[in-house]
Amino acid sequence: MTARPRPDDLRLEEWLSGYFRPEPIPAGLARRIVRAATTMEETMKTIARTFSIQATRNGVALVARRRPAPSTGGAGGRAGGIGPAPEGRAGRAGASADRLAAQARRELREYLNGERSFFSVPVDLSALPEFQRRVLEETMRIPFGEARSYTWIARRIGRPRAVRAVGTALGRNPVPFIVPCHRVLRSDGSLGGYAFGLGMKRRLLELERATPLLEGCRSTHIVCRVGCGAAQRMRSDHRVVFGSVAEARTAGYRPCRVCRPAAA
Amino acid sequence: MNTDRTLMRQVVHRDERAFALLVERYGGRMLAVARRLLGSQADAEDAVQRAFLRCYLGAAGYRVEWAVSTWLYRILTNVCIDEMRRRRSRSTGSEALTRETAAAANGRGDSIDAVARLDVRRALRRVPREARILVTLRYVDGLSYGELARIRGISVNTVKSQLARARSILRGALGGGKGR
Repeated sequence: MTARPRPDDLRLEEWLSGYFRPEPIPAGLARRIVRAATTMEETMKTIARTFSIQATRNGVALVARRRPAPSTGGAGGRAGGIGPAPEGRAGRAGASADRLAAQARRELREYLNGERSFFSVPVDLSALPEFQRRVLEETMRIPFGEARSYTWIARRIGRPRAVRAVGTALGRNPVPFIVPCHRVLRSDGSLGGYAFGLGMKRRLLELERATPLLEGCRSTHIVCRVGCGAAQRMRSDHRVVFGSVAEARTAGYRPCRVCRPAAA
Repeated sequence: MNTDRTLMRQVVHRDERAFALLVERYGGRMLAVARRLLGSQADAEDAVQRAFLRCYLGAAGYRVEWAVSTWLYRILTNVCIDEMRRRRSRSTGSEALTRETAAAANGRGDSIDAVARLDVRRALRRVPREARILVTLRYVDGLSYGELARIRGISVNTVKSQLARARSILRGALGGGKGR
């Protein structure tokens, strides 16, 4: 290819504006978006309404669909779903369990609203058989917004032939959402199974794709992991997404000391 | 008159017609931004869809002191940056590039010659990402330095210096025939 002379400013402007022409809009785009938004919102509301959380003093031990309430006002203050729902319990252990359950409810609500990319509440898997516990612990290492295969988990826990057992262990995950069993797919990329239906699995993956990981604040110039407690009061129009801590630094932002985004 | 702000007020109340008008007004430019940043048409449509979905669900968070376009572009850039982060480990748009090369060979691209189009694309790859985002927004919709600063949460001076740097890289890459 022959070398051209350096383009003058005018020519460069012309090339650039030609290159950045608007594209035609696909037909029915608005309608598709409204439909997707409505489904997404309904799913997340359903989860928030129909799941309840139980914790021990060591961490969250159960996130489960509640049995349909016989009537409102009955079942001992559990009517709030993952909303604030104090559960009467005696003693200091009970108090710390309640605190952890409340924290889990708050974090899960934020996660479902696309405002949180990590859970900081501890999980208590101590009551589970060893194999299942190892499967679930490995599952917790899959980064937010990504997916791994059943085979990958089996290999990581040193039981490469136990792929099917991994599937079963995940299917009985007592702490769904927080232990992200929805991030485990078949090796061919298809969804595999999910205790609450494949539609929900797909929407959770889509929710995570739509939730950013790192967010900076325009006024403080601090970059946080999305969901960091220190960033909760950030005004929505002050939020700027960054691709990495390094890029945030080039824009003059420093990493938060609370959520430590560089370690994420 | 359906100004942008009037439409946004209606979108807060989930007015689908108003939302469709906004999509029609900005969809083409948003697609151009996403396409230039992400490379492939499918990824661009995904990103625009996700950005508009956030606009629809998060309309209540819109503040009137923002121009609607600035607000939309900010959401879109946020989505695109996050998408680029996700695929950093994967191989980058080589497939899209092949398609573009084929299109160039078929003589598509009427307002600038197709070869120049491909060259611009290659040259842009040498521009660091934050600066490339600014160039893209600047040329797709002629956004001002102030708007660009707002969208990326940086100072106007940083915008100016990043754009100047990008132009100088582009001028060098498009003229020298280096690295072909």
